[in-house]
Amino acid sequence: MRLAIIIAGWALALLSVMGVAADSPRNNAPTTPVAQNSAQAEAMRFEGEKRFRANCGRCHAAPQKFPPRMMATIVRHMRVRATITDEDTRLVLFYMTQ
Amino acid sequence: MKSSVKSPARRSMRESASPWAACSVLILCLLPAFLSAQTSSSDKPVPILTGSAGYFTFVTAGQTQLNAQVNPVILVPLGDHWLVESRAEFQGAFQRPPGGGPFGGPVNKNLDYAQLDYIANPYLTVTLGRFLTPFGIFNERLYPIWIRSLQQDPLILPLSAESSDGMMLRGGFPVNAAANLSYAVYVSAVSTDHNNLQSDRSVGGRMGIFLPGSRVEVGASWQKLLQDGRTNAFGFYSAWQPQRLPLNMHSEYARSSPGSGYWVDGAYRLSQLQFWHRAMRRLEVAGRAEQFFSGQIGSNAAQALGLPGVNTREGEFGLNYFLRDGLKAAVSYGRQFSSDGNSNLWTVGIAYRFALPLGRVGQ
Repeated sequence: MRLAIIIAGWALALLSVMGVAADSPRNNAPTTPVAQNSAQAEAMRFEGEKRFRANCGRCHAAPQKFPPRMMATIVRHMRVRATITDEDTRLVLFYMTQ
Repeated sequence: MKSSVKSPARRSMRESASPWAACSVLILCLLPAFLSAQTSSSDKPVPILTGSAGYFTFVTAGQTQLNAQVNPVILVPLGDHWLVESRAEFQGAFQRPPGGGPFGGPVNKNLDYAQLDYIANPYLTVTLGRFLTPFGIFNERLYPIWIRSLQQDPLILPLSAESSDGMMLRGGFPVNAAANLSYAVYVSAVSTDHNNLQSDRSVGGRMGIFLPGSRVEVGASWQKLLQDGRTNAFGFYSAWQPQRLPLNMHSEYARSSPGSGYWVDGAYRLSQLQFWHRAMRRLEVAGRAEQFFSGQIGSNAAQALGLPGVNTREGEFGLNYFLRDGLKAAVSYGRQFSSDGNSNLWTVGIAYRFALPLGRVGQ
C-alpha cells in the first residue's frame, strides 16, 4: 500500500509540474479565440453556433447566455463531461460570449 | 451495482494506510500547480454553484410517492487547465405507510462525483477522485432532472455502477473533417464502507464516434468487475438530432449478468407548428419504449440492485413545458407490463436549473 501511495504521489507531482509548465506564456490553453476583424468575428460566431447546436443540443435545450467568466467555467465543465473537442470548445465559448 | 460485502484482506489494506497521509501527499504535490494557477484576469473562469432542484409526484401502481430533490454542482476552475467539480444529491422520497397515515420516508444523501480534472492537451483529460462511471450515455449526460425528457429512470440504469472512485483518462478529438472520436477509460480501485462513497473495484471504458454533419453519435461501453463474480458488462448507445427537426433521439442497450435490456426515447419540440406558436415553441412531446430481460440472479437480488425482478416491458409518453430558461413543468404517463402484473406510472412535477457565480463576473 505504501508503494501505491508513493507511486500515486510521484504521478501527482508529475501532473503538478505539467500544470505549472502548461501555464507558461507559450502554452496553448483552451481560451476564447480572438477575431482579427468583424467579418472574421461573424464567421466564428456562425461556426460557434453550428458547433453549439451539434454538441450541446444533443442532450439539452439551449440555455441563456451567462456572463463570460461564468460561460468559461460552464464550457470547461462540458468539455470534460461531454468529451467535446478542443476546437469545438473554443468556438462554442466564442459564440456564447458574444 | 454497489457491493456491500468487503473482503477481510481489502479491509486490512485500507486500515493500514492513513487517509490523512494520502491527503497530505496529494495537497503537497498539487500545491505548486494550484498556486501558479491563481490569476486575476477579468476574462478568467469564475467558480460557480449550479445544479437543479425539483419536486415530483410519482404514482406507481396506485402507490403515491412525493419526491423532492436538490442536486447542487460546484465548479471551481483553477488556471487554464484544471477544474474541480462535484455534485451531491439530496432526495426525499415520501410515501404513506401501508396502513394509512401521513406521508413519511427517508432523505437520501449521495455524492455523485467529486473529481479533479486536468486538461493535459487537446486529446487528453486526466480525472482523479469520484466520477460518474462512463458507461452508456444516460448516467453521464442525461441524468439531471432538467435535462432528461422523462423523469422515470430507464429500467437498465442499475446494470452498471453510477459512480466510481479512482482515475479516468478521457478526451475527444476530430479524426477527420466529418467525424469526432471520444473515449474514456477508467480504473475504480477504491471501495469504501461509507454509504455515500461506495464504489466497485472495476475497470472499463467507452468509445464513441460523432458525425457533426448528420448529428449522429454511436458508441460502445465495457466494464469488468474486479471483485465478487468478476463479471463483464457491455453496451451500445446512439444519439441522433436531425438538422431539420427539433427532435432528439437517444437509445441504449446494456448486458450484464443481472440482466439485459434496451431503451429508445425521443423528444420533439413543437416549435415548428404554426398555430399557438408562443405556447407551442415551449412545449415538448417525449416518449420512451424499453424492455428488460432478467439474467442470472434471483428476483430478490435483482430488486436489491434496483432492477425489475422479472422480464418487464414499459412504454411512456410525456409532455414538458418550458416556462423559462431552466424551468420546466413535466407530466407523463407510462404502462409497465410484466408477469408480476401490469401497472400504470404517472408523473407530475417541476424541475429547475440554477447557476450562480461564486465571484465577481463583471458586466
